Amino acid sequence: MPQPPTEAELALEKLGQRLRAGFAKQHPAQSLDKVRDAVREQYEQEQEATRQSKPKPDVAKDQQRQPPEPDVDR
Amino acid sequence: MDDLLKLVRTYRQTAGLAERLRLAEDIFRQIEPHLRFFVFKALHTSSADDVLQEVLKAVAMSLGKFNGDTLPAFWAWCYRIARNKLADHHRREASDRMQPMSHDELAELIEASAQDAPLSHQDKHDLEYAMKLLTRSKPDCYEYLWKHFVFGLAYAEIAEQQNLSYDNVRMRIGRCLEEAKSLVA
Repeated sequence: MPQPPTEAELALEKLGQRLRAGFAKQHPAQSLDKVRDAVREQYEQEQEATRQSKPKPDVAKDQQRQPPEPDVDR
Repeated sequence: MDDLLKLVRTYRQTAGLAERLRLAEDIFRQIEPHLRFFVFKALHTSSADDVLQEVLKAVAMSLGKFNGDTLPAFWAWCYRIARNKLADHHRREASDRMQPMSHDELAELIEASAQDAPLSHQDKHDLEYAMKLLTRSKPDCYEYLWKHFVFGLAYAEIAEQQNLSYDNVRMRIGRCLEEAKSLVA
């Protein structure tokens, strides 16, 4: 069974929370341009991957339209 | 903070670009200050901002692939990405290492945090004690205590980062804590 946290551990955890909150207060989130660019880039990669995984409609149609192979033996 | 996990889950299931951009904005407004803190405390140079941008980009690129289902798992995942980027940077710039924060610098952050959540007498007492524990620790112990209590990294995370076993990290942090207590007493 885990030991309950000691006074020192609780104090350090409290300090950690305060330091993170204090830093966030002093440095609010700045420009997120890089994040937006990355989301777009990732989205485009996914779209590209989806496009490549599907057969091209024109190719599929052409394949359907192709006449049967001539019988070589004939 | 529970909202954060909901946002991440929704992001994972969202296909449209406009909606993803909106969700990413909400997610990164919450996580950017924490990742900034992580990076800026690990580096002490002007390159910290460049590394932070690399971290944000890497998190954004992989956000749809995060498949954990708890907030600690999400933070561990974010910090792992940040740590990898920091490691890349350290390989390039071997001298660019974390510097311990002074008592005054710590006190300044605590003061800033009190703007939203005022400090009780008990808080002040506890925080003063914790600052002494931290600032009087030897450098290697300072780093372990900082990672575990300030960044909130679990033993397992630190173990993975330092290439040590879970028990080894747990015992080292325990020893550092005992040593710090004896130095403060």
